[in-house]
Amino acid sequence: MLRASAVCEAAGFPTSSLTCEGFVRQAAVTSVGIGMPNIPIAVVPGHIGTKTAQELRDDVLNVTIDDVVRNLTVTPDAQGEAAEPRARDIVVRGGFKAVNRYFVEHEYSDGLPIVPPTREEIESFLRFTDRAPDESLGTLLPDKRAATIWSIAVNGVMAGCRPEYMPILVALIEAMCDPNYGVEHSGNTPGADTLIILNGPIVKALGFNYTQGALRDGFLPNTSIGRFWRLYLRNVAGFLLHKTDKATYGNTWRVVLAENEDVLAKIGWDPVSADMGFTAGDNTVTIARYTGGGSLSSVSGSTPEEMLPYLADSVQRFNNWQITFTTSHGMGTLRPLIVVSPIIAETLAKAGWSKGDVKRYVYDHARRPAYDFQRQLRDWNIRGVWDLKDDVTGGRIPNAFYESDDPNRMVPIVWKPDDYMIAVSGDPLRNNAYVFAHNGFLGYPTAKKIQLPKSWNQLLSQRD
Amino acid sequence: MNNDGYYEAYWPRSPRQQLMRELAPRLDTLEGKTVAQLWDELFKGDVVFDLLEEGLKQRYPGVNFVSWRVFGSTHGGKEREVLAALPGRLKALGVDAVVSGMAC
Repeated sequence: MLRASAVCEAAGFPTSSLTCEGFVRQAAVTSVGIGMPNIPIAVVPGHIGTKTAQELRDDVLNVTIDDVVRNLTVTPDAQGEAAEPRARDIVVRGGFKAVNRYFVEHEYSDGLPIVPPTREEIESFLRFTDRAPDESLGTLLPDKRAATIWSIAVNGVMAGCRPEYMPILVALIEAMCDPNYGVEHSGNTPGADTLIILNGPIVKALGFNYTQGALRDGFLPNTSIGRFWRLYLRNVAGFLLHKTDKATYGNTWRVVLAENEDVLAKIGWDPVSADMGFTAGDNTVTIARYTGGGSLSSVSGSTPEEMLPYLADSVQRFNNWQITFTTSHGMGTLRPLIVVSPIIAETLAKAGWSKGDVKRYVYDHARRPAYDFQRQLRDWNIRGVWDLKDDVTGGRIPNAFYESDDPNRMVPIVWKPDDYMIAVSGDPLRNNAYVFAHNGFLGYPTAKKIQLPKSWNQLLSQRD
Repeated sequence: MNNDGYYEAYWPRSPRQQLMRELAPRLDTLEGKTVAQLWDELFKGDVVFDLLEEGLKQRYPGVNFVSWRVFGSTHGGKEREVLAALPGRLKALGVDAVVSGMAC
């Protein structure tokens, strides 16, 4: 909303931005990043979703409207920008405790101790990239800071990464900067967290866990790179709780999910990297934001027909309100992720099923009644002007969502089979799976190739 | 013996790239002016805009509105395209000011 207002202000149109009370602080911080710290807002007291019609009427006509008139007719006071350190300033000198206290007090840390980013440590990371320290990979909202190679190294050190992870960290920030990913939405209220999927020989070369406990902390590369991601969102993109990060709940960062490419090669399925447009065997990162999901225990059966009904049913159940990204303003950006354990993938493949076959099955069977789909969005997620028929007849969504007027007709939850993503990882001999509920265009799947430095092998052989 | 060590720690952020920008000039009055409604299609904005229209028309009988229906969602999969087209559309529609919602 503020981004729209900023575009209008820059074009010469005065604006008033309607903001519920709980977002006033976020608006104030975000306005600095868009270069208009005094852009005016009109407050709606409380939260709009819990008011009676009369309460809303009273609040808008007695409170909000005065703000709107003032916003459009009175020039707001100018506001300056607080002075900051420069890119390579040392900000604190002292012992481990003092450094960590300083980083917590200045909101540079996630609450856990950080490894002090000293020049020696930073330079050890910079040796693992051929890119110049001052090179910027892009500019990140909401703070609109430069995503420099130097800042990647600094935050990598802080997260407890090893220097040789640097090529992965650089690829991750390239993905973070990609407009298709939508990093600017990372503070939205559902509190989605990014999952990083890693592919390629680098999984084994750097010792990532890709088998039992694949999504749990406990392995240095998986865990520290997950932490790096969140620190970079904090320190460079600028997402801070109680300010720009408005997650109602949120989670701790997710550890890196590495695919089991031995099993994929054995059964002839492409890795996620190939699904994302790269060549199987490339070192890649794939990122997307997920609002939740859950584990499926004991996906039993010896054939796809026995196994997949449970999987499809769970995909539909775990992607509940997220269908808001399927229709209307989400424009088909829902991309649920299904992670199956190797033994499930092997059982499906043994019957001759490709990954595409599984996606097609899930598309055909992960469905919900049209009346239920509409109720979720129109009545429960308060999008009162919307329905499936209007979207189909208006040409905005596929015909599959309105093939008759029967309210009990079953409609898909994504636009096409390839909207489903499937990864293989986890305990090789346990028939469990995990479904991730996706966050649509607010964290759309985005992949980048990991560029290794020319002297990669030599550097690896020389590491501590 | 102190095992706390000594460190010189660097700033983990990087400089902001956004220069401060001026706001648009404000209007002297809303009387006779045209106000555009921009909506992200969330949080009952349709109801709020109806109420604002009602209240503003009572105060300024000559105020006009361009409905949010004309612009489409400002917060969706097509946000960048919609925002890029906004200045031209606002000018073409003779808009003087904008009310944009909803952040909740």
